[in-house]
Amino acid sequence: MSAVSSKQRQFDALVRSLSGDLFRYGYWLCGDHTLAHDLVQETFLRAWRALDDLRDTTAAKAWLITILRREHARLYERKMPQFTDVDDIDVADERETHMPEFAGEENVIRNAMRKLDAKYREPLLMQVLGGFSCDEIARELKITPAAVMTQVFRARQKLKTMLSGGAQEAAIHELP
Amino acid sequence: MNCLEFRRQLTINPQCGEVDFVRHRQDCPRCADAQDRANAFEASLHQALAVTLPPQLAESILLAQATRERRQRSIYRSGGLLALAAAVVLAFGIGMRAEATPLSTLAVDHLREEAEVLTWTKLVTPGSVQEAFATRGVALHGVPGGISFVGCCPMGRHLTVHMVMPGSNGPVTVIYVVDDHERVRVDFQRDGWHGRSVPMGKGTLVLLAQNVNQFDSVENTWRTALQVAPAPGNTHS
Repeated sequence: MSAVSSKQRQFDALVRSLSGDLFRYGYWLCGDHTLAHDLVQETFLRAWRALDDLRDTTAAKAWLITILRREHARLYERKMPQFTDVDDIDVADERETHMPEFAGEENVIRNAMRKLDAKYREPLLMQVLGGFSCDEIARELKITPAAVMTQVFRARQKLKTMLSGGAQEAAIHELP
Repeated sequence: MNCLEFRRQLTINPQCGEVDFVRHRQDCPRCADAQDRANAFEASLHQALAVTLPPQLAESILLAQATRERRQRSIYRSGGLLALAAAVVLAFGIGMRAEATPLSTLAVDHLREEAEVLTWTKLVTPGSVQEAFATRGVALHGVPGGISFVGCCPMGRHLTVHMVMPGSNGPVTVIYVVDDHERVRVDFQRDGWHGRSVPMGKGTLVLLAQNVNQFDSVENTWRTALQVAPAPGNTHS
């Protein structure tokens, strides 16, 4: 089998196995189906040109996410988020909380996600959709693991606050 | 691990598998309940984030890649490698930037990349055209009929709405470049295609076809849709 066809086979496999995840990630990054499609297509076209650089195939998803984020950043000017330390986070009482899973129609959760500030949304997306660890997210976002932990903590707090009607901030999984 | 640490970790990563975390769950029924609720929320969140994929997403990406590859190979085969190398040297020599590529070149290249849409005949809905323009931040004051393809395509560094309007003399490709306002209206010919580039609204309308006969009427149609006054000498062709 020639090197070219081997490269093509590897590319086909990547597209078929990861294009869905990348589209969803791209969609939540830009908020638009058409643009997400463009982003994913351009990501894979760039990946094809640089496929020889991909030494570790188990890292393909992270590699593609990096390309997609750069492509997205090329279209939209990015601002570096400000972070606080995870140890500064307080944990409040749970019993007063209306748990969001009971309020959670898909559309309600999607609308809440759209309202979530990008600095919270992106690490949460990488964790939930990408399955990345806090260390992996930290490397990708070029921030500390502690900052990632803070952001995903805050992201879930804010989501659940929105889903419970915004009555309380930070009232989830708290001590009785 | 105490309850406070468990709950904090639960909100950071409900799927945490650390030994201390798992052991605390086994020892503390209240925290175990909290994790069950957290897992239910994670399942809802994951389901909500899983937006519907475009039909044949993987196939469309592979088609785009194959099309570019074929084009690249054809450049090499036709001895274009030397020309390309010369162009690169020239580009560096005169400090030319990629952004300087004329819209006419970008448009013809883009048409080739998506040549298959020229054969589409089933008309799209006016709503999908409105939506494509809205995506690019442009409000239409009416949607011209007879559009068989519409897509928000990147073209070089530009953002565009790419459309095809089938006509009696063959399809007319209409590309509205939203982020580049050309200074003058020009007709051009490139690689066997007739083209017209018209500054319109805040962007530029580019028309491409094998036959120029329909350019005036298509241009006027889009002037109306974008509510732009007719240009002097609109009969230019």
